[in-house]
Amino acid sequence: MQGNEVTLDGLTVTYPNGFTAVHPTDLTIRAGEFFSILGPSGCGKTTILRTVSGFVQPSAGKVLIGGQDMGSKAPNARPTALIFQNLALFPLMSVRENVAFGLEARGVGKRERLNRADELLDLVALGDQGSKKPGELSGGQRQRVAIARALAVEPAVLLLDEPLSALDLKLRQHMREELRSIQKKTGVTFLYITHDQSEALTMSDRVAVMNEGRIEQVGTGDEIYSNPKTAFAATFVGEVNAIPGTIRAVDGGLVQIETALGSFSAENPQAMGVGEACLLFIRPERLQITPDPHCVNRFPARLQRRDMEGAFVTYHLQAMANGQPLLAQRVNTGPQPIAGETTVGFEPSAASVLPVGKLAKTGREQAA
Amino acid sequence: MTSQRLLTAYTWAFLVFMFAPLVLMILASFNDTSPPSVTDWQGFTTKWYEFFWMPVEQLRADPVLRALDRDRFLMCFGNSLSVAGMVVPLSLALGLAGAVMLTRWQSRFNSVLWWVLLSPMLAPGIVLGLSTLVFWGRVGVPGGLFTIVMAQVTFVAGYPMLILMARLQRQPIEMEEAALDLGASPWRTFRRITLPFLAPALFSSGVIAFLASMENYNTTMFAKGSACTFATEIGAMARNPNGHPPVINAVGTVIILLTVAFALGHALLQRKERAL
Repeated sequence: MQGNEVTLDGLTVTYPNGFTAVHPTDLTIRAGEFFSILGPSGCGKTTILRTVSGFVQPSAGKVLIGGQDMGSKAPNARPTALIFQNLALFPLMSVRENVAFGLEARGVGKRERLNRADELLDLVALGDQGSKKPGELSGGQRQRVAIARALAVEPAVLLLDEPLSALDLKLRQHMREELRSIQKKTGVTFLYITHDQSEALTMSDRVAVMNEGRIEQVGTGDEIYSNPKTAFAATFVGEVNAIPGTIRAVDGGLVQIETALGSFSAENPQAMGVGEACLLFIRPERLQITPDPHCVNRFPARLQRRDMEGAFVTYHLQAMANGQPLLAQRVNTGPQPIAGETTVGFEPSAASVLPVGKLAKTGREQAA
Repeated sequence: MTSQRLLTAYTWAFLVFMFAPLVLMILASFNDTSPPSVTDWQGFTTKWYEFFWMPVEQLRADPVLRALDRDRFLMCFGNSLSVAGMVVPLSLALGLAGAVMLTRWQSRFNSVLWWVLLSPMLAPGIVLGLSTLVFWGRVGVPGGLFTIVMAQVTFVAGYPMLILMARLQRQPIEMEEAALDLGASPWRTFRRITLPFLAPALFSSGVIAFLASMENYNTTMFAKGSACTFATEIGAMARNPNGHPPVINAVGTVIILLTVAFALGHALLQRKERAL
């Protein structure tokens, strides 16, 4: 098995009802890469997946796999295999027949395809379950059958549509490792669709953050978490404090910005100019409570609540100046009673300013 | 409490209303008198059943049975089987095509198509029978078994369509997409994925189509020309001015038993499938 490169060239998908699910998108997924598209539901990520697999036709632009234009090739003529969210195992066939189905469709003889199915079931550690029906297996086992079934056709690209979303937490975490190791073992290009950032960050070589039909940023998990390029990417991946402000001065890579909480110095990755309205982003783990005396960015805040989350502790604070809620996180090094008024601060290298843009919905907004 | 009692009384009244005629019909089929009666009990007999296979001499000796044309009756019954033998596969094929189209082909004309395809089920049977006769008459085909088949198929195909649609709506479309995605042709997908899933529904559709064809009277009556079927022959015998022979009660009893057996078999099959 060998992976192939996938290229989206100006890919656009507008549905007959006029809704544009995917705005013109250029993207290259490298051969043999584990690539995730991360975004909230309805952002167009599933549409991209279905366009690559051939179930949706692009309204404009092209899908190329291994440099070959897929044109209007039907799903059964593409070198892709799709793992559905509900897995779509065939309930009336045995596990072995499920895995062998793709080979059956290619006219491989019965003995050969069943042998091949057994090999693949061994690969996903289900060698002894071949004669069962999918309904007799556990959730994680069914997951692995779906993977084996998709790998049986030796796809150049494996497409995965949130396949772990139906599993419970522990199993989900375990399946991440398994998916990653299967991908490494086979070298197939994985295109993984998810709204779960920790899934995307832990498994992927690279991640594309997507919102409202547009890709906001492509990069490694580290790049996206540490150097988000847009307000959406900053707020969708991980928790973040966002403070609105205006740029007062630009000094090399740093800017001076004026906010309701005071004047701060921060990184300027998008090279914004003086006078521009911006958002200042600080990750909770970079916001210090009672910072070093030499820390230049500091302002008074009141501690509201302390949430013990096991390995770390989350502090809910309120800026004294305007009551803006803020989050700070610390590694849990034992009880540290902090209460009432305090000073918080952050290093300029720990914060960055980005142009004002759409933010990801907070949990409270999603619940509303 | 009173409303509870009222409901119970109503339920019983309903059941009596529904089943009393059947019970009387069955009882009369064992009474040695003609026309059939349960009040005038002349003794237990099974001769109304034996009519169909008793030796000719015995048939001629019976004052009631000898007036009946057994060979014609059996011929008409055979016609019914031939008609059903054509109607069942045709209506299954048509109903399956309609069901697949209405559930898998997403078009804004679907609701219109649904009504168009089901309208023969709702149209009065005599209209179907007459229009079939007139149409094929113009084409040059006289009324007969062929026109009966054509007339019956128009409305019988609706039953499989409804049953298969309900079933298809329960199968996630991803199942078929997965097969296509794994490289199967649409035909293989249909044969290996869709059809096996539909098998139980196809079986019960077939049974229902068979029963609908066998028992159909009004449409058949108008489309039959000079041919006869089981239902039209029973109809003809029942119109006897001196009261119909109890042979009809015997036939009716057998039909009821068969229907109950089918219904039970179907229920068992469904339970088995649900356990899957």
